Amino acid sequence: MENDEKKYEDVIKALKDLKEVKAPANFEADIKRRINSEKFSNKEKKTFWQNIFLPSRLIPSLGLVAAAVVLFFVVETNSEDVDNPFLIEPRVREDVFAVTNYEEVGKKQEELSKQKSLKKDEPVLEKRRDENELKSSDDKIVSGREKSGEVEGLLDEKDVAKDQSILADNLAAAESSLAVVTESPQPTVPAEVDAGKVRGQSINKEELNFRQVQLSTEEQKVVNELKNQVQSLEKANKTQK
Amino acid sequence: MDIKLRELSDEELILEFQKNNTEDAFNILVQRYKNPLTNFVFRFLGDYEACADVVQETMIKVYRYKDAYNSVAKFSTWVYTIAGNLARTEYRRQRRRNIFSINDYGEDHSTYDLPDESSRPDVVTDSGIKDEIIQKALLKVKETYREAVVLRDIQGLSYEEISEILGVNEGTVKSRINRGRAQLQELLKGIYKE
Repeated sequence: MENDEKKYEDVIKALKDLKEVKAPANFEADIKRRINSEKFSNKEKKTFWQNIFLPSRLIPSLGLVAAAVVLFFVVETNSEDVDNPFLIEPRVREDVFAVTNYEEVGKKQEELSKQKSLKKDEPVLEKRRDENELKSSDDKIVSGREKSGEVEGLLDEKDVAKDQSILADNLAAAESSLAVVTESPQPTVPAEVDAGKVRGQSINKEELNFRQVQLSTEEQKVVNELKNQVQSLEKANKTQK
Repeated sequence: MDIKLRELSDEELILEFQKNNTEDAFNILVQRYKNPLTNFVFRFLGDYEACADVVQETMIKVYRYKDAYNSVAKFSTWVYTIAGNLARTEYRRQRRRNIFSINDYGEDHSTYDLPDESSRPDVVTDSGIKDEIIQKALLKVKETYREAVVLRDIQGLSYEEISEILGVNEGTVKSRINRGRAQLQELLKGIYKE
């Protein structure tokens, strides 16, 4: 350390020889004045949060928020509604069919070609179908009205029986309309299918585009057991009624 | 003013001011420290007006935050720390202002008047040309080294006090002082030759 001081001896001496700078003459008076002015100016110190929520600071920020909200809605209204691709039901391909045997592939292809040729006549068929539906609905209304006239004044038990008969009439009307439809060559119900089998909502599953699973013998057994159980339950329900 | 108060040490005076709010004790402290602090701040800043403001602000802080003084520390260390912090802040503010003013000049091409320093009170105080040259050289020394050199070679404080004021260990203080001195020696070569 002494070596350092010797090394910079000249510098140290020069610095020590510098004249002392003194405070201004009115230094103490100025301090007193400032202290007194601070004493009498009762400024309440605002906290950090008070400073943040000053109205002068809130106004521009609120303006910004309002502008952001308006912009958001403007942009939102201009944007097109886009369907969520994950929620759209997939289109069923008409040329896809499920077969259990490889030999059936040829037959199915022939059916498809027939269906395509028949599609040209579809508008006419749809017209016919609509007419039939209209007729059936008119029949329902008429029969309903007639029967409601007859039902007036009867007991509740009879009401139930009549309701059932109305339902049966409706079903018959619907079946007749479907029968008309099935007479015409429909792509979903091929001509091979027996007309007796096509009753009401009964549609042959094999003709649908569902994925068909070939069950093993064990699985088939389990399914059969379940079917039997369901049938026995249904029978039991009917006997109870 | 009470004669007994004048006989008290700095630490006793500030304690008196803390406990009894004796304003005379504070006034004595102001009288004792106004010149050393002015000298220290002026040598660091090189601007007398700014230096007077900084020292005044230091004293007001002592008055306002008297309870923050810890009796374990020396009063001189505490007051020099406050003055040093304020001086550093002022120095950086001046430097920023100088940068911006030069930038402004470059942009709008308006006239830029350099201040005439011959009539300034700080120049009048520094009457000797040698003092002026040393002061200018001192201002060219790096900020951290300059502060240490001023505290040691102009104010005559011990290394221990300087380390407390600057908040660094003594080794760092010594190295800063040596580096500051070396820079000064380099800047003042011409003076020694004369």
